[in-house]
Amino acid sequence: MPERIEGYMGKQLRISLDNKKYKIEKIDTQTLKDYLGGVGYSAKILYEELEKGIDPLSPDNKIIFATGPLTSYRVPGGGSIEICFKSPLTKAWGEARCGGNFGPDMKKAGYDFLIIEDKATEPVYLFIDDNRIEFKDASHLLGKMVSEKTRMMREELNNNDISIMCIGIAGENLVNIATVMFEGRAAGRCGGGAVMGSKNLIAIAVKGSGKIEPKNPDDYNIALKEIRNVVKNSEIAKGFREFGTMGDMAGNDAAGDWPTKNWQANNWGKGEELFDYYNRHNFINNKMCYKGCPIACGRIASVKEGKFKTPQHDGAEYESLSAFTAFVFNEDMDAAVHSSYLCDEYGIDTISAGGIIAFAMECYENGLISKKDTEGLDLSWGNADLLPILVKKISKREGIGDILADGVLKAAKKIGKGAEKFAIHCKGLEGPAHDSRSGKALAVTYGTANRGMCHIHPLEGMAYDSGKFDFGMIPYGVPDPNKIDRWDEKGKGKTVKILQDGLIMPDVLGVCKFFMYAGITLDQYAKLLSSLTGWNLKGKDLLRIGERTNNLQRLFNTREGFSKKDDSIPDRAKQRPLFGAYKDEDRCIVKDYEGMLKEYYEARGWNTETGIPIKEKLLELGLDE
Amino acid sequence: MKIKVKLYTILKKYAKGKVLEENTIILHKDTTLQGLSRSLNIPDNIGIIFLVNDSPQGKEYRLREGDEVKIFSFICGG
Repeated sequence: MPERIEGYMGKQLRISLDNKKYKIEKIDTQTLKDYLGGVGYSAKILYEELEKGIDPLSPDNKIIFATGPLTSYRVPGGGSIEICFKSPLTKAWGEARCGGNFGPDMKKAGYDFLIIEDKATEPVYLFIDDNRIEFKDASHLLGKMVSEKTRMMREELNNNDISIMCIGIAGENLVNIATVMFEGRAAGRCGGGAVMGSKNLIAIAVKGSGKIEPKNPDDYNIALKEIRNVVKNSEIAKGFREFGTMGDMAGNDAAGDWPTKNWQANNWGKGEELFDYYNRHNFINNKMCYKGCPIACGRIASVKEGKFKTPQHDGAEYESLSAFTAFVFNEDMDAAVHSSYLCDEYGIDTISAGGIIAFAMECYENGLISKKDTEGLDLSWGNADLLPILVKKISKREGIGDILADGVLKAAKKIGKGAEKFAIHCKGLEGPAHDSRSGKALAVTYGTANRGMCHIHPLEGMAYDSGKFDFGMIPYGVPDPNKIDRWDEKGKGKTVKILQDGLIMPDVLGVCKFFMYAGITLDQYAKLLSSLTGWNLKGKDLLRIGERTNNLQRLFNTREGFSKKDDSIPDRAKQRPLFGAYKDEDRCIVKDYEGMLKEYYEARGWNTETGIPIKEKLLELGLDE
Repeated sequence: MKIKVKLYTILKKYAKGKVLEENTIILHKDTTLQGLSRSLNIPDNIGIIFLVNDSPQGKEYRLREGDEVKIFSFICGG
C-alpha cells in the first residue's frame, strides 16, 4: 500500500471506463505541497494529462472529482467536492463545485481524488466502498429524473448511508449545460454532466470507513475551535442561515446588481416584491447541504398549489430564482421556483438555462427566431408558462431546445442574423445574477475568470465593491473597501488580482467559499492546514498557491487558444442601462475596461498585449516546465 | 422631521427601539443618510445601499420631511 501522507488519504483512484479497470495511485507529496488539492491539484493533472485541442465530449477528456485537505465533516464548510474537466460549453478550463456529503465520504473511502478516463461501452455507475470498486450496469437508470435515479440506486445498493452524484436526462443527452447532481444540489456550471454522459458514466456512489488523524491533534483542535468561533459570531453566517442566498435579492436589485431582461438593465425594482412573495409562499425551511454545516444556507421550497405546483425540494437559490425572474422579465415566482426545481431534476444549470431563455426571448422579440422555429411557442418576455416548457425542451434536445442546449455562444452562431449581440457570456459561459455596473471590480473578474462569466470566482468583486468585504486581505495589498467607491475604476485591476488569488483558496482547500464571507481568513486556514499536515504554512503561502493555481488554469486556456481577446465582457455589461433606477447614473457605466484589464495584466505579470503569462512569472511560480 | 425608514435582512435588528410604528423615525432637519445610518447604529464598515423614494442616493443626501428610505445590506451569496 502507498505510504501515508500526513493530513491526506494520500491516494487517488483512477478509473478506466473502457476496460472497467481501476488503479489506486500514490500521490506525490511535493505536488500536494505545491497545489494542495481541489481545483489546484486538478489543474496540475488536467494540464499534464490532457492533450491540446481534444474534444471535451470524447473519451480523451478526463473528469476529476477532487477533495481538498480541509474537506471533512469536522471543518466548517468541509462538505465540498470540486469537479474539474475541459468544458464542452466553453472548450476552456471547466470546474464546478457542489456542497454535500460526497466529498467527505469519498475521502473516508480512502481517496483524495477520483480521476475518470475513457468511455464505457454501456451505461455504468460506480460504487466505491473503501477498497471495493464495482462497475454496475446503469441502463435501467437512463431517462429517470435525478431524484428517481438516486432513490433507485439507494434501493439496489440497500444502503441509505451512501453519497450519490449522478447526471440527469440532460447529461445523458450531452446537453452542454448539464450538471452533476448531489441530491438537490448541483455542480452546475460548465457542463460536467455532459462530460459524464459522454463517458456513459451515469452516477457514482461512495461509502467509506476511513479517518484522517491530524499530524498535531492539539494544535488542530485549537485552530478548529478558532474558526468555529469566527463562524459562530459572524453576522454574515447568521444572515446566510436566516435568509439563504435569496436574502440578497432585494438589496442586489436596489444596488443595480441584478441583471434584468437579458442585461438590458441592472435593476428592475421588483426584487423586494418577489423576495416577499417567495418568503410568504415558497420558503419552508433552511437546510444543511452536508452533515453538520454550521451555516445551513440551503433552502427547502415548494409551490403548494396551482399550475406550477412543485413538491418540497432542496434549492431555490438566489442565482436560480434570479435567472427565472429578472433575466427573463418574469414576475411569477411560483413559475421560477418550479423551473429551478425542473432544472435540478433534469440536470441542467439554472443560471445558464435562465440566460439562454433570456437570449432566446430577445432573439424572438427582434424577429431572429419565429413561431415557426419554436413550434408555435410564444417566447415573449415574462411568459411564465413558457419557462418549464423550455427547461424540458433544452434537457431533452427537443425542437428549439436542441439549438439552445449548447449555450448562447453556439446558439447565436447557429441562429446568425446578428444574434451574437444578445448572447451574454464570457468565454462561452452565460452570465450570472450580478452586474458589473454595480461595481467595477466585477467587470475585471468576469473578463478574467478562468471558467468564464461565473458566479463564484467573480463574486468577491461584487462583495468587495458593494458589500465592503475585505476578506482579511488588506495585509496582502487589498485597499480598504470602505475607502474606495464601488464605481471607481483605477486600482480595481490590481485589487482583483489579489482577491482572485486569495478567494480561490476555498476551492483549493476543499471548503465552501461562504465561510470566507463569514470571516475566516487565509491565516486561519493556514494554521488549520499546518496542524493537519505538519507543514509550516502561513496565509501568504496560501496566497502564492492561489496565484499558482490561477496561472496554471490560465495556461490551460492559453494552450487551448484563449488570450486577451477572450477576456472581453459583453457590451451590455458595460453600457448605460436601458431602463430602471440607474438609467441616468453615469457612474455605473464601465468606461475604461481596457485600462482596468491592462492594470490587471501588469499586476499578474502577464504580457499586456496578449494576456499570456510571461516566462519570468512562470519561473517564479514554478510553472516553467 | 418625520420620515419613513425600512431596513432589510441583516439590518432589521438596527430598527429595534429606534424606528416607531409604521416605519417612522423622527430626525433633525437636514439629516443626511449617513446621519440616519449612524443614528440607527449601523456600523460604518459594512456596505449599505440607500433608496430614497425608490431612487438610489448616496450617503451625503439630505433627507426631507416625508421621505421614504429603504436601507439594504449584503450577505453576498451567489
